[in-house]
Amino acid sequence: MSFFGFYALSGAWLFALLAPLVAFYFLKLKRPKQEIPSLVLWRQVLTDQRVNSPFQRFKRNILLFLQIALLALVVLAAMQPFWRGQSARVRRLPILIDCSASMAALDKPNGVSRLDAAKAEVEKLVDGMLPDQELCLISFSRTARKRTSFTNDKRLLREALAAIAVEDVSSDIEDALRMTQALARGESFDEVLLLSDGNFPTQTHFELSFALKYRRLPPAGPNIGITALSARRSEDGNWDVFVNIEGSPQAEGTTAVELIQDDKLVHEETLSLGKGKVERMLFRVSGEKASQVQVRLRPDGFDSLASDNVAFIELPAVRPLWVYCPVSLATYRHALGAVSGIRLFPQAGAEATETNFDLVVTDRPEDLGLQARTWLTVGIIPEDLRRLLTVRKEGGAVVDWQRSAELLQHVELGDLLTLEQVQSNDGVRESDYDNLGYEILVHGRGGPLLLEKRSGGKNAFHLLFHTDRSTLPYRVGFPILVSNLVRLSLFDAGLAEAQAQRTGVLRAPPLAPDRTYVVKGPDGTSQEEKTDAAGNLAGVSAPRVGVYRVLDGGAERAWLGASLLSSNTTLLTSTEQIQFNENLSVTASVAATRSDRSLWKYPALLAFGVLLAEWWYFNRRTRGSLR
Amino acid sequence: MSLGRRSAESANQGKEFVMENEEPAAEKPQLTPLLSNEALSRLERMRIQSRRRFTNRSRGEHLAGRSGASTEFCDYRDYVPGDDVRFVDWNIFARLNRPYLKLYHQEEEVHVVLLVDGSTSMLFERKLDWAKELAAAFGVMALNGTERLSLYSFRRRDAPPHRLAPCRGRASMKGLFAAVEAVEGGGDVPLEVAMESLLKHHTGRGVVVVLSDFLTFGDLGRAMNRLFTAGLEIFGLQLLGPTEIDPEVGGDTRFVDSETAATLDVSAADDLLPLYQEHRIAYERNVAALCQQRSGRFLTISTADTIEWVLFDLLRRKGWAR
Repeated sequence: MSFFGFYALSGAWLFALLAPLVAFYFLKLKRPKQEIPSLVLWRQVLTDQRVNSPFQRFKRNILLFLQIALLALVVLAAMQPFWRGQSARVRRLPILIDCSASMAALDKPNGVSRLDAAKAEVEKLVDGMLPDQELCLISFSRTARKRTSFTNDKRLLREALAAIAVEDVSSDIEDALRMTQALARGESFDEVLLLSDGNFPTQTHFELSFALKYRRLPPAGPNIGITALSARRSEDGNWDVFVNIEGSPQAEGTTAVELIQDDKLVHEETLSLGKGKVERMLFRVSGEKASQVQVRLRPDGFDSLASDNVAFIELPAVRPLWVYCPVSLATYRHALGAVSGIRLFPQAGAEATETNFDLVVTDRPEDLGLQARTWLTVGIIPEDLRRLLTVRKEGGAVVDWQRSAELLQHVELGDLLTLEQVQSNDGVRESDYDNLGYEILVHGRGGPLLLEKRSGGKNAFHLLFHTDRSTLPYRVGFPILVSNLVRLSLFDAGLAEAQAQRTGVLRAPPLAPDRTYVVKGPDGTSQEEKTDAAGNLAGVSAPRVGVYRVLDGGAERAWLGASLLSSNTTLLTSTEQIQFNENLSVTASVAATRSDRSLWKYPALLAFGVLLAEWWYFNRRTRGSLR
Repeated sequence: MSLGRRSAESANQGKEFVMENEEPAAEKPQLTPLLSNEALSRLERMRIQSRRRFTNRSRGEHLAGRSGASTEFCDYRDYVPGDDVRFVDWNIFARLNRPYLKLYHQEEEVHVVLLVDGSTSMLFERKLDWAKELAAAFGVMALNGTERLSLYSFRRRDAPPHRLAPCRGRASMKGLFAAVEAVEGGGDVPLEVAMESLLKHHTGRGVVVVLSDFLTFGDLGRAMNRLFTAGLEIFGLQLLGPTEIDPEVGGDTRFVDSETAATLDVSAADDLLPLYQEHRIAYERNVAALCQQRSGRFLTISTADTIEWVLFDLLRRKGWAR
């Protein structure tokens, strides 16, 4: 294969212009006539060997040679020569550009980010594009986005390239590959170029239907970052904040770790991290009131990625769990009374006036109007289940139960007897309960005995038999079941532990229903979101690390911190080989992609230089002859 | 051969040399439009100085190489018995005690032939005018030196030359001027042809003053040989115009020969000027060598010079006249 080619070879016919050029040159030499006394001396001059030397002949016709050179260079430029790249010429090339969090990592102090390096390579491809070549740019992080269609408009491509920015989320190439596959239905192409630092899962569940060229970018420098942040309620009413700090294999050094609560520095420590080590740190913060906590790293040396140096977590005020349990359920009230950290309603001898609780345990249908995140109904058949089952006044027993269910952990229900038998109606199958969103936790002889349903942030457990008409309250497992229920409620209410939220999609706390809120991001962007009937926001898009504020007419209603918290990203792991299936894998290439390079600029510049030279020479001769 | 340029002021230097028996020039009518009366009066006192020894039966002012009965000492030779004792140098005898015989020049007459080139090339830059002025000057010198004088000018091949029949003495001055003034140019006769044709009409030994630009494709050597063989000492005066000495050309030009109408295309003529000078000087040297090899003389004059400087300074310095 030759290394040099011409895109517009047909332009060579322009060389035929040489003939009229030479002809006109000599014709144009309408030499002025000058009568002289005698040609004796001039003839001797012209027959002098020195005049007829090749150099002198050249010098006499230098303008002609300059014009020939100019024409040759212009025709050469018109033929659009190009230097062949590594691979055969590709007419259409989709380029997948990774813009996940790890692509913001620098290679050295004041160096370039991986994304900038990828952009530079794409710029070279754009510059070297020949007129019949088209590129399509697709950026991807967790999801893919098509930046341009197939186009050879270099300006458009450059603008789209410049608009690609890093998103502080982990990378997943599957969405990008799917998008590329969808492209293939409309446009034909043979090869796809993937530009990434390799920080994505090695195994990909995707059927590759095109040739994928994986160009792995040069590695970034060492990095230290926060990979996990959580908090657990301590017994003394405070929060224990747990922070995991990891470093990439080359990272080694010290870093200051700051804990900031409500914009006030409350703790600072220095951590020394060895290569490839993980350190877990514990801070205790006050739980008196709800607070917003930031953990920040300040590494002493070079740290290639900044977005994993900060993490956010919202800690609610430490308070007792509000539990409603009617007096009629004395067994439950008794079991609940033994659990610490709860406030039981109604209090003894008083009616409950509150309507919002964390946990409601009731056997009274009129209590179903209360507000609670977690429910346990006892002996109440939900409205949507009444057509599926019947409760008979006959003895029943537990056949099986889900031992892994959180509510039933360490609860033994074997030999449990009930005075009521729940019987599924004829033709009703388990799937019918699934279709209604119920999960059967305990099976009786004829039908389900305990079901769980999660909907709209609520978690409801339905005991279809009354525990007072069973042997359950007498079993050892009964207080354990109640304790499990309290623990579940504590987690559901966010009172037991808190987890920092990762970038991507944020979960907002319940707000006013059917209301529009403005969510302001850390990069100054704003988005409008509307809550549903339950007051839940559908999901706040959070591509950047930082604080997202939910505003209602300017007033802050919620504070959401988004953190990277990705061990894979912080370690800057790089996949060398993408495994598609047991037979197909794509290995990374580290050499820069060499595209066909258009060379027409060089003969065009040379032609301009020859034109200037000709102008100078012609004017010099004209001035000389006037002397 | 360097060509000096003399300003017209030098022509006024001769005013102090007004002849005793001549009335001031301003009062006399101009004898010829070719030369001023003042120049003429100066020329009357000048003589053409020939190098060769001529043997001619007629007696002129030029001295022959043989011992003669003139008063002008020539040389010594040993005394042999039978020599005329009147010519013994007694002073030398007294010193050396050996007799030596004094030899004296014999006065002879010289025929001065003026050949004026009448070809077309002479029409450029007043070369023909110069030739006529110089012809008149040499003619005056010859007539006042009691030499025989004739003039030839060849113009057309198919026509006889314009000539002045041999004449002598101051009385022939008027005829000389008339003949010179009547010389016309624009002819097509090459110089070498004119030189050889001259011999068809001329007899006698002497000096031939060739007034031409000497730019010819023909063989000058053969013509000069014939002149030399015919006993004529060649005085070659090459007349060139300023643009022939220092051409003003540039770029791409088509030169046209004024005589043959032949053309020559030259490109980048300005780049070739140094080479032109080289060839011009070599050509002049070559023609000068041809003359000198035949005991002749050769000078190149620019028509930008003044006639007075040429006549009264250059020719004298070069020994052409005294």
